[in-house]
Amino acid sequence: MTAPLGLVVATERTPNTPHQFQFWTAIDSPVGIGTIVRVDGRVPVDGHIPQVYGVVTEGFSYTDLASPLFDVLGHDGDPGQSAFAPTERAEVRLYSAAVLRHVPEEPLQPVPMGEVFLATETDVAIALRMDSYLREDANTGIPIGLYRSGGMDSAIYLDAEFLVGPEAAHLNITGVSGLATKTSAVEWLLASLFAHFPASKGSVAAVCFNVKGPDLCFLDLPAELEAEDRAMYDTLGVPCEPFRNVRYFAPFKADNVSLNTLRSNEELLANVQPLTWGLREVLQFAEVLLNRDDVDAKADALIDFIKERVLDRDFEDRVLKQQHRVRSFADLEGWFRDLLSGLEDRGDEHWRTHHVATIRKVRNRLTNISTRCAGLVTNDGHTSDLPWGDFADRAVYVVDVALAEEDAQDLIFARIVSKLREHLERRDLGVTHVVVFVDELNKYAPADGPETYVRKMLLDIAERGRYLGLVLFSAQQFRSQVHRRVVGNAGTALYGRMDGDELATPGYAVLSAATRTKLATLSKGQLMVRHPHFTQPIFVSFPRPAVMRGRDGVERYPQAADVPIDVGVLRQLRRFDPSLTLAWVQDVIGLYEDEDVLHALHATLAHAPDNAGAYFKAQFRKIVGASPAPAPARTPLRALPDDDPYAI
Amino acid sequence: MDGVRSADGLTGDRAIAADPETPPGASETLRSVHAAQRHLLRSIPNVRAATGGGLPLERQQRDMELPHVIDAAGAEDATLRARVVPGAPVAAIRAFLDGTQRSEVAGWCGALPLVYGSAGAVVRERIHRRLTTWERPLVQHRIYAPLAYAPRAELEAALGAMLEDTTKPSADGTIVPPHPTLLLERATLAVSRNRELLEIALAERWCASRAEPIMIDGGIGASEAVAQSACAVGVVKSHRTLYAEGDGLNTVLALRRGERSSVIRIAPRGRSEVLSWYLRLRDTEGRDVLWGLVRVEMRATAPANVTERADEISRWVLAESSPLAAPDPRWDRMAYGIRSAEEFLRATNN
Repeated sequence: MTAPLGLVVATERTPNTPHQFQFWTAIDSPVGIGTIVRVDGRVPVDGHIPQVYGVVTEGFSYTDLASPLFDVLGHDGDPGQSAFAPTERAEVRLYSAAVLRHVPEEPLQPVPMGEVFLATETDVAIALRMDSYLREDANTGIPIGLYRSGGMDSAIYLDAEFLVGPEAAHLNITGVSGLATKTSAVEWLLASLFAHFPASKGSVAAVCFNVKGPDLCFLDLPAELEAEDRAMYDTLGVPCEPFRNVRYFAPFKADNVSLNTLRSNEELLANVQPLTWGLREVLQFAEVLLNRDDVDAKADALIDFIKERVLDRDFEDRVLKQQHRVRSFADLEGWFRDLLSGLEDRGDEHWRTHHVATIRKVRNRLTNISTRCAGLVTNDGHTSDLPWGDFADRAVYVVDVALAEEDAQDLIFARIVSKLREHLERRDLGVTHVVVFVDELNKYAPADGPETYVRKMLLDIAERGRYLGLVLFSAQQFRSQVHRRVVGNAGTALYGRMDGDELATPGYAVLSAATRTKLATLSKGQLMVRHPHFTQPIFVSFPRPAVMRGRDGVERYPQAADVPIDVGVLRQLRRFDPSLTLAWVQDVIGLYEDEDVLHALHATLAHAPDNAGAYFKAQFRKIVGASPAPAPARTPLRALPDDDPYAI
Repeated sequence: MDGVRSADGLTGDRAIAADPETPPGASETLRSVHAAQRHLLRSIPNVRAATGGGLPLERQQRDMELPHVIDAAGAEDATLRARVVPGAPVAAIRAFLDGTQRSEVAGWCGALPLVYGSAGAVVRERIHRRLTTWERPLVQHRIYAPLAYAPRAELEAALGAMLEDTTKPSADGTIVPPHPTLLLERATLAVSRNRELLEIALAERWCASRAEPIMIDGGIGASEAVAQSACAVGVVKSHRTLYAEGDGLNTVLALRRGERSSVIRIAPRGRSEVLSWYLRLRDTEGRDVLWGLVRVEMRATAPANVTERADEISRWVLAESSPLAAPDPRWDRMAYGIRSAEEFLRATNN
């Protein structure tokens, strides 16, 4: 039997309660803030010796000095003399601990006097109620990290039922920027989730929005890890390897041929796919981009009319000079031009109850979208999208919007999340659970500010997503500045190193001063975890992700420079057929305008045919090569008679 | 050692001494004054519990011994003079011994006080600059009753060897009258005597088993074995008796910090002869003349070694002036180790 670490103490002024107790230890005991301990009571209750598990939340140390002045006097005012004092003062280490669990649970009594022991691995499992979901026949544990104390490592597990639903769901991470805690934690947790997600719960994939820098751009490349990290992977039963199935999606730059991502190095393009949408996709989410103060009900009505009656239909009207079939922004612009021209010719101010001014406004706002979201929205109507209906189990889909404009980011987020929701509702996404990771929640779901479409969507996921298998992993620097319903619905919360100002906000008042201090000084790889099964926050260590860090990735695989259209086309087509050459591309596109080339490229990318080269080439209209016009046969002037008397 | 138990402060019941005369469980019932009251009320008819608020008898005003001076024979110089202690203080003391006592009226049997007395002694050993308890401290709880007047049979039946008579006849066969104040004083003296016995027991044990110096709070002459031990150093803080007269007294009272008086030879009544000297631990500027003044005792030694030994022990005692024993009001004279012993007993001995 191990020796006790300390003894419970209680006084009239600081009595023990059912949820808190104090104990003292030897000065050199391995106890600190966050240490889990077990108290063995001395007196049986209902025939059972009560055991109480607690986590240390505060520590005190003091000596028998009544006043600092006595110490000054004792050293004659010279601190240097302290080393010569023959005796060290009596000193106490006193700790406050918050109760994690009583065994037995009833009757719930104040913590009894008793011996305090450092929690063993079994104790940790009981204290955190992990024993309820780590059963052999129904193990839903997802490793989150190691609890370390007194030279002992204990694996800490989250309950999948409470991480991805349906009991509770969602996870939120808070921490200061620059310590790689938030992204690293998510990368690690996704690897852990993929490794331990129980088969009985179905399948799971992740959609990660890369909103800044190269953080998530190299998830399929290995990292160079220390032996200590590898040992943690072994202990926690998670393969120490990068994600096996990762697909990247990024919009084009404004040139519509170069991908707008930091993962544009030609060596890495094999699993990078353009993210481009046409008019139909955009119009479904037009309200994301349209200013609600600007677009009124009348404009809304016209947009709805276009969506319902014009888009993808043969449309004729007496005002129009011709029949229109609107598939792209270019088609839409032609439709508007024809309509307004017809109205002008007729001198009409109304068309089908829509005033001409409204028509002009809607034309302006809609056609402006293709400019504001250049690179994402194609004029030609071709789309390149996530594999809706064909999501793979344990696959990661990274949507890189870090370099996209803000409007485009909003549109991408809104549409992808909506599509995920639609497919999950219909159970035809390809997987039963999707984890959506969004960083910078301060920006997308702020506590203050106007109601935005994106914030509404995040709230919707947070409040109803768990029933669908749509799980939100979110991160931000300042939790206090995120909408309360978003973070409040996160069943699991992780905290990395925190900013002092943030910790001073009321949301952290439930934590002890010592716990807040520890949070402000956490090192890389350490987290405080709150989980529905844990009645108190727990500190854990987690390994560095087994994937290449963003800044290492961009150094090893620099972003491709902007290139001429022929080189850009070649890069994209080589994803399908590496044998294609620049000379071949130049030969194919040499006679065509850039617009035609992009049309052909987008069509090829959208259809991803087996023979990409041939398909690409077939997209061009046949142009007869220029050749010199045959010289007309010269007919000699009739010869004059030799005897022409009028000849000069 | 009847009625005496060792207390390690952690598992209080494991070291209770077996006593054939003590009824089962009696020793445990005397762990505190309240436990003693319950036991007395259950066991003795016509006993009423004291409800005086628990003020220890030691703190109540008593007629104390009057301060006085005694001339003592010099063992180093013909007349007392001040000597500067040469060299720097040396932390050579290995352990500190002290005892505590507490007396309280537990109940009344008619007009007769039944006093609950608790005494203890402990050695605090210094290991790597930290003080820990050496072996087991000795703790004794007893009921002190005037058996000449109280129901002896019932009390003995209830308490066995844990009962002590405060009305034992003196040498001439007289018994103290049943004056309540006098009986209380007799009880307090008995507790004090028992505390001293506990201290002696521990001191003798240390001196018999260890060779390192031990600082004993008070004199060392109560035990012949201790008084003759080379490792025992007594430090007396109270000066109701000053062993100097005339110029010698002035010399003692004028000692400056780091100075000692000449060594004298003292043999109080009923105690072994020891060598002693006064030592000033702290500056007296702005203080009374007894501030920081202690009297050190060591065994009687050959005259040729007296100066050297007195200087050496003085250096040891001077080293113990830090850290301060504050907030004890006697911190100017008390070694921190002695305070540690008192605090330990206070914490473990109720």
